[in-house]
Amino acid sequence: MSAARETRRSRFRALLAVSVVVLSACDSLPGKPDPADRYVRPDAVMDFETLFAANCTGCHGEGGRQGPAPLLGDPLYLAYAGPRELRRIVSDGVPGTSMPAFLDEKGGTLRAAQIDALVAGMQASWGMAGRFAGRRLPPYRGTRGGDAGLAYARARGRASFQIFCAKCHAAQGGGTPKAGSVFEPSFLALVSDQGLRTAVVAGRPDLGMPAYYAHAVGRPMSDEEIADVVTWMAAHRVEFPGRPFSQAAPFVGKEP
Amino acid sequence: MGSSRLRAAGDWLEQRLGLRPLFEGSAGHLVPSNASSWWYVFGSATLVCLVMQIATGICLALVYVPSADQAWESLQHLDFEQPFGWYLRGLHYWGSNFMVALMTLHMIQVFLFGAYKYPRELTWLCGCLLFLCTLGLAFTGQVLRFDQNAYWGLGIGVSIMGRIPLLGESLTSLVLGGPILAAETLTRFFSLHVFVLPGLVITLVVLHLRMVLHNGINEFPTRGRGVDPETYDAEYAELIERTGEPFFPNAIHKDLLFSAVVIGSILACAAIFGPKLPNGPPDPTLIDTVPRPDFYFLALFSVFALLPPYMETFLIVYVMPVVVLALFAIPFVSRSGAKHPADRPVAVAGVVLVMTTVMTLAVLGLSSDWSPHMDAWKSVAVPVEMVEGRSPLELRGAAVLQAKQCRNCHALDGSGGKRGPDLGDVATRLTEDQLIRQVLQGGGNMPAYGKNLSPPEVAALVAFLRTLSPADAAIAQNSADPLGG
Repeated sequence: MSAARETRRSRFRALLAVSVVVLSACDSLPGKPDPADRYVRPDAVMDFETLFAANCTGCHGEGGRQGPAPLLGDPLYLAYAGPRELRRIVSDGVPGTSMPAFLDEKGGTLRAAQIDALVAGMQASWGMAGRFAGRRLPPYRGTRGGDAGLAYARARGRASFQIFCAKCHAAQGGGTPKAGSVFEPSFLALVSDQGLRTAVVAGRPDLGMPAYYAHAVGRPMSDEEIADVVTWMAAHRVEFPGRPFSQAAPFVGKEP
Repeated sequence: MGSSRLRAAGDWLEQRLGLRPLFEGSAGHLVPSNASSWWYVFGSATLVCLVMQIATGICLALVYVPSADQAWESLQHLDFEQPFGWYLRGLHYWGSNFMVALMTLHMIQVFLFGAYKYPRELTWLCGCLLFLCTLGLAFTGQVLRFDQNAYWGLGIGVSIMGRIPLLGESLTSLVLGGPILAAETLTRFFSLHVFVLPGLVITLVVLHLRMVLHNGINEFPTRGRGVDPETYDAEYAELIERTGEPFFPNAIHKDLLFSAVVIGSILACAAIFGPKLPNGPPDPTLIDTVPRPDFYFLALFSVFALLPPYMETFLIVYVMPVVVLALFAIPFVSRSGAKHPADRPVAVAGVVLVMTTVMTLAVLGLSSDWSPHMDAWKSVAVPVEMVEGRSPLELRGAAVLQAKQCRNCHALDGSGGKRGPDLGDVATRLTEDQLIRQVLQGGGNMPAYGKNLSPPEVAALVAFLRTLSPADAAIAQNSADPLGG
């Protein structure tokens, strides 16, 4: 009698154990919604990777690698631009170029806090803060000579261009099979002077363009050389870029 | 000892309730032995789904808050906080999918077997009404999810109604509870989904089953033998006499087995795939959304998206009612004659045609390539191989392509919007002049961008597009240019 009761009791225990296991297994079924899939309003997203994938990937490439726009996953660029400039560029955009303003007050879709999260995330994920700690980087903003100094700066820029850039972009800047023209008027119309400066300083390591310190010449470009090259390139801007004719069409301004 | 006492209690109850004749007249009714077929299981399985939907629906109604500001939240609570709330939602969601699918199969089987012919015309009519009511339940259920799909789906549903001449406006305001989609709309759909439509469905099911019992289940069709209303009743009575067997316990086993498989499948689907999560609150200021209906309305969704606008009212006001009326009219138009599908090639071809059309439209609706991919310009990267080796101008052109949102309609090697042609090999198709013209003037469903792009932007864009060709493909050249020039 007691043996039968014992069996019954152990059976009951086994059943209880099985139910506990089954019920806890139910909680990890594949159909159970993942809290990560929970809907988040677009203006409440604060996760850096989500924000970057949704807003920056199109032009700057996945993970900030190899897009048509400047390389963001580049520690040198991030150290050189710094959080303040990055925040300004993302918020206000760069007029005249393809970089739009992302701040909601400027017509974009991101709140200021989201832009802060983007900038902080870029610095934290790709910045390598320590790497450039001891090194003096060229200042983000360059100087450009006044009218008197402009011609002189251009002449010097032309000389520096021959030293540092002509190998790939050709002496007249018209491009070689290795790298295209940098004096193309339409290109110059779509890039700011600051953008030119950034390209000269940071290069495009992903596309084979060296940074200011990594040229085959064996020495880094000096601050003056960087500023002069930019001035020389900017001097090739034309009044009516991107038109098949060299001057303004004759009827412009003559309409009744 | 125990069983005889049980039997005595049963007899006592039977004496007072008189259930046995009722049972023998319903579950025990005689069916032709050839009707005990695997083809005849879809109807009972649909009924099983209905019972499951009612059971899970009651449980859901215990938690769901039918108010515009809390409905979405209460589903979030079910999905993420309430233990097994997600499973309950999954059961109701998959139950509805199975119910619509099985109902459709049942309808197709009844049509192909000619079961709607004399004397079962009203059974068909009743089934058609059940079909419409079930779709109504599916639609109202989708609205109760009260997310962005519901919001925009309802907007489309109501716009369809608004096209009805004379009555449109009143109907719209009746359904919405006012001129706009608001709090009252949800309570209306709640009462429709929970009281009105289920009540209607239950009534119709009772009627449907009553008629099945009264007229007998359709015999399995035989080749070369048709229905003659003059002689059919006698033939059927003779068939029952010769081969009849009680539905319970003889013929029911296939229904039971199939229903068990259906229930098991619903349980498994809910466990494996889970519920359909609401995709964002019904807030019209949230524009980052691609609303899409559940699968039963995908075909309709595609039709409205693909139809030229001038055809829409015609389709809504004339074609849709005619289709429904045609469905109702089938047993009155084709009342007698052959039953076996092999004797009715037109009917079979009709089913194949309708189902192929509906399925094709539904598959198109799944991807809805006609909608631009509104975030592609900032979230879909330019393929790396289209960045490498490009000149500074061409890189600027790629940035223009993204920043001016060309990518929302045009894919690059398959990624991006699908509304316009893929630009991954555009250089093999269009010369530089043709590209410039297309960008500036648009055409072929593409807007003109002449006023939105500066000349350098066009130059950069076209320079980039001219680099887009497969490695071994020749680039399109102006035929007026001398070769090699």
